[in-house]
Amino acid sequence: MKGKNIRKIDDVSKNYYIELLKGAKLIHQICIDFTKKTIKKKDLDAVIECESKCDRIKEEYIEILFKNKRALPFLVEDRYKIIGFVDQVLGRIEYFSRFLKIYPFALDNNIKNQFKDLSDINLKVIEIMVETLNLIENNFDDAYKMTFTIQSMRRDAREIRFEILGIIYKNDDAKKVFLTSQLVNNLYHIIGIVEDIADYLRGLIIKYPSR
Amino acid sequence: MDPFTIIIIFMFISILISFAIGANDETFSTVNGSKTLNMKEILIFATILAILGAILLGGSVSKTVGNKLFGSGVSDISENMVLTVLFSTSIWLIISSYLGAPISTTHSTIGSIIGVGILIGGLNGVEWLKILEMSFWWILSPIIGFAVTYVVYKLIHKYIINRLNGFKDFERTERIFSYILLVTIGLTAFSRAGNDCSNAVGIVIGLEADISIDLILIITGISFSLGIIVLGRTVIKSVGNITELVPSSAFASQVPTAGILFVGTILGVPLSGSHMLVASLVGLSKSRKAPRKGGLKKIILIWFLTFPIAALLAIVLYFPISAIPF
Repeated sequence: MKGKNIRKIDDVSKNYYIELLKGAKLIHQICIDFTKKTIKKKDLDAVIECESKCDRIKEEYIEILFKNKRALPFLVEDRYKIIGFVDQVLGRIEYFSRFLKIYPFALDNNIKNQFKDLSDINLKVIEIMVETLNLIENNFDDAYKMTFTIQSMRRDAREIRFEILGIIYKNDDAKKVFLTSQLVNNLYHIIGIVEDIADYLRGLIIKYPSR
Repeated sequence: MDPFTIIIIFMFISILISFAIGANDETFSTVNGSKTLNMKEILIFATILAILGAILLGGSVSKTVGNKLFGSGVSDISENMVLTVLFSTSIWLIISSYLGAPISTTHSTIGSIIGVGILIGGLNGVEWLKILEMSFWWILSPIIGFAVTYVVYKLIHKYIINRLNGFKDFERTERIFSYILLVTIGLTAFSRAGNDCSNAVGIVIGLEADISIDLILIITGISFSLGIIVLGRTVIKSVGNITELVPSSAFASQVPTAGILFVGTILGVPLSGSHMLVASLVGLSKSRKAPRKGGLKKIILIWFLTFPIAALLAIVLYFPISAIPF
């Protein structure tokens, strides 16, 4: 890829990751506020706005990616897949935000701490994913290690998820059980997608030296 | 027959053979397979190099067409026999190009010589010992291609690819490989066009007619490039698809074999570039433990069919061609 295009694509991906992290931090803050019953509608709207901004950046990124006729095709293909995967994370964040907007209950006190822990992991795992995505450009070894950190955090998240679900299922209010479990699962699914990305990146790191 | 008609006939065969050789030119296969250039760029690049090669290098004219391969049963090599050999060689080259198989022009020529030789002089019409001697190199060509690429790729992988760290490192390194590949293939295509067109022109020059060599070189150069444009793309795609390629692996399969072929040419060893390249791509897929994409069986089958079919074609074509009064 020519120097000018590398710089441009680097700038665009940097902007994308800034927006992604902004969205992740916002959703984390929203979760904290939710546990305190101080959730703000404007924050939820900001997440949705953040996702649509990322969509626009993604379009620009893809345009640069495919416009460069001299870029290595396999790298273009892999970068395109990566941005597609990362976009799914934002899609899930937006979905979670929209879900929370219409969720009709307050969070029960007995699951507040676990929910907060799950939200902490969610933010942390996205931050590590962005770090991994930056590392993979210049340092396969460290990026490879990071993917295992993500994997291990997902395991922790899974424990917390089932712990919360175990508590929720003891409730007699079927509607509340269904919607709250949906809420928890939606948050967990974001972490699940991040782990899928980590798996994919690990595969790429293994694949590249064998090309 | 009047000299003008003879010139026209020989010009036609000269154009036909350069078209056929161009159509069967697999030089750019690895550039296509590694997507270093797209097909449109390849065709433009190949056309320019073919015409330049023909004009600038095509001056050293050769007019012998395997006459050492006819045996004692053939007392005199007539123009009709030469035309038959060239015509059947061209037709088989065009057919195999249409089928996407790169074949050795030499093999096709020898197949045709065998056909004409047997028809004219029976079993004594062919110098079998000479053919046996040459067949040693035909077997050796793919073995050399396979082995060299296998080793070169292992070395590149161990000392370069394995040490790369990060996408950007890959990007830089593969780019360097793609530049080396382009320069080497450009030179190969340039010299190949010069060499092949000089052989095609030699047929007309042999007539010692008052005709501009430069003009014939330009015409055969254009014909050679038309061959690449019309049918060559099928061969390029077919060979480039034998295994997955990136510039570094394309380099490993093409550059060392091109070097060996060059040395072989200087030493007068008749190695087949097409066979070496196809075998080197197989060697590459073995070295990388990567699966082959397919098309190899068809190519090998066409290699085996080259001798009998070229011989049969020559036998069939000899009858109408022998009726031409020179």
